[in-house]
Amino acid sequence: MKKNTHLFMALAVVLIMPLLMHSGSLASEVLIFGLAAMGCNLLLGFTGLLSFGQGIFFGLGSYTLALTLTRWPLPMPLALALAVVMGALGAVIVGWVAIRQKGTYFVMLTLAFAQMFYFIAYTATGLTGGDNGLLDIPRPSITAFGQTLWPLTSPWQFYGFVATIFMAAFWLLLRVSRSTFGRTLLAVRDNEVRAGAIGYNLKLLKLQAFVISGAVTGLAGALHAMMIGIAPLANADYQTSEMILVMTVIGGTGNLFASVLGSAFYLLLADWLSALWPRWLLLLGLVLMAVSLWIQRGLWGLGQTIGARILGKRGQAIVAATVPGREGEQA
Amino acid sequence: MNTPILLEAIGIKKYYGKFAALGGVDLTVRANTVHSVIGPNGAGKTTLFHMLTGTTPVSAGQIMFDGHDVTHEPDYRRVQRGIARSFQVTSLFLSLSVRENLRLAAQGIAPTKAMNCWHEPEGPRSCAETVASVLTKLGLESFATVPAGNLSHGQQRRLEVGMALAARPKAIFLDEPTSGMGIDDLDDMKSFIKSLRDEHTVVLIEHNMSIVMDISDIVTVMQQGRVLAEGLPHEIRGDDRVRAAYLGNMITGGKA
Repeated sequence: MKKNTHLFMALAVVLIMPLLMHSGSLASEVLIFGLAAMGCNLLLGFTGLLSFGQGIFFGLGSYTLALTLTRWPLPMPLALALAVVMGALGAVIVGWVAIRQKGTYFVMLTLAFAQMFYFIAYTATGLTGGDNGLLDIPRPSITAFGQTLWPLTSPWQFYGFVATIFMAAFWLLLRVSRSTFGRTLLAVRDNEVRAGAIGYNLKLLKLQAFVISGAVTGLAGALHAMMIGIAPLANADYQTSEMILVMTVIGGTGNLFASVLGSAFYLLLADWLSALWPRWLLLLGLVLMAVSLWIQRGLWGLGQTIGARILGKRGQAIVAATVPGREGEQA
Repeated sequence: MNTPILLEAIGIKKYYGKFAALGGVDLTVRANTVHSVIGPNGAGKTTLFHMLTGTTPVSAGQIMFDGHDVTHEPDYRRVQRGIARSFQVTSLFLSLSVRENLRLAAQGIAPTKAMNCWHEPEGPRSCAETVASVLTKLGLESFATVPAGNLSHGQQRRLEVGMALAARPKAIFLDEPTSGMGIDDLDDMKSFIKSLRDEHTVVLIEHNMSIVMDISDIVTVMQQGRVLAEGLPHEIRGDDRVRAAYLGNMITGGKA
């Protein structure tokens, strides 16, 4: 597969959505949760860590941006940067504790953190607004020297802003996933014992993966708060963690672009089903069952299989799928 | 055989609860030798290996390697001291290519490079020379791009040893490298291990007595968590205690 194929595919999604979709907010949401799912994928698909703590970093990003823009007169780009830093810091704490255990106990530790964070956010009403969340987050235009360069008032204007950040983050994450670090993560995912035995400090590698994951998830949380104008308690909820995980698994693990597919599929399906039936989450459960039972490599793997059938080049596709990343298999 | 001492373990003990898997083992390994550790199942050979390579911590005792006290260093730190190991049960990165397996193993002696989030492991970062030389030694050149999981059992066993070799260690610990191997592959493995002595020190756990007796410079026999006897291969072959420990004539040529 050519080096920039995935980058072009991401760009294609970014450019096609405005042509096909009516709602700029829904399109923005696809990219925002695409970012969060990519952060989750870095842990699940590349490192083999099933984290239920992603909602913490998402919530931290939302609250940080909301607090910065409503209480302190800081410029908006700085508020976004601060949200990234807070997401990363949250990940340092969660990661530092959780990576002391493996398997079930690792998952339990991330779950414990998610529950604690939710109740802290619920209780600390002075900071988070508790049940009401933080309201009236402004969406300032991008200005330089007093000139408005890019107003963010309409949904599609905001989409352009999100899309730019999304493409930059996608490129960065792609670079990370192909770096020496990313390739070493694959070794940790495949066989932790051997990775330790050949000289790698597993805790350090996992912690760095957590930090990057937390940073990008914090960014997603901040953009989400900007989009809806509030930082709701729901963004810090355990269900946000679950949603991000489900998107990642549906899209397919071990491939960053697959996470964008997962996010798009989840949100578009939710948008369509929720209009038809208020209990639409039930149907989503069926989709998740189908993925778990039959298409474990996710939508991306399904696409690869179908593409290969059509082209009649099964063998080539399988080789492409196995090197360098094993797409599909989950922790 | 009077090469300098590379590894010295003194009074190594390991308890699992009240059970003493190792009850105070002393072991001295000299540089550029093949030092075999044999003994019946449950004698504590693999446990001793775990202690020496740092896979699991000791309960008591001291391990000196190459002039350093490595007793409390974890396994990944000991790799940088020049200790590398293979596993009794094949332990590879199954979804990654043979070349990538070896590259990761070669990179492991400078693990801070693995934290590089920006550059791909290409060019000077690819450890290409080491990987190529190990591939040749293993005879796996034509399988370089094949995922390790698709290799035959014999090839996987060879790659298992190659993973240790790629770290260019001073001492290489091989835990039953021939386990599950077919007759055809045994001779290859035997001469391969023997050839390692020129550049490395080999510590070997092996059940196949013909291999042990042919290639070892010194043999340590373990029983029930202790050293029963130590000596040159022919001395061990004639030792009555060893014969008794093995409950029969396995030592004289049979295969475990």
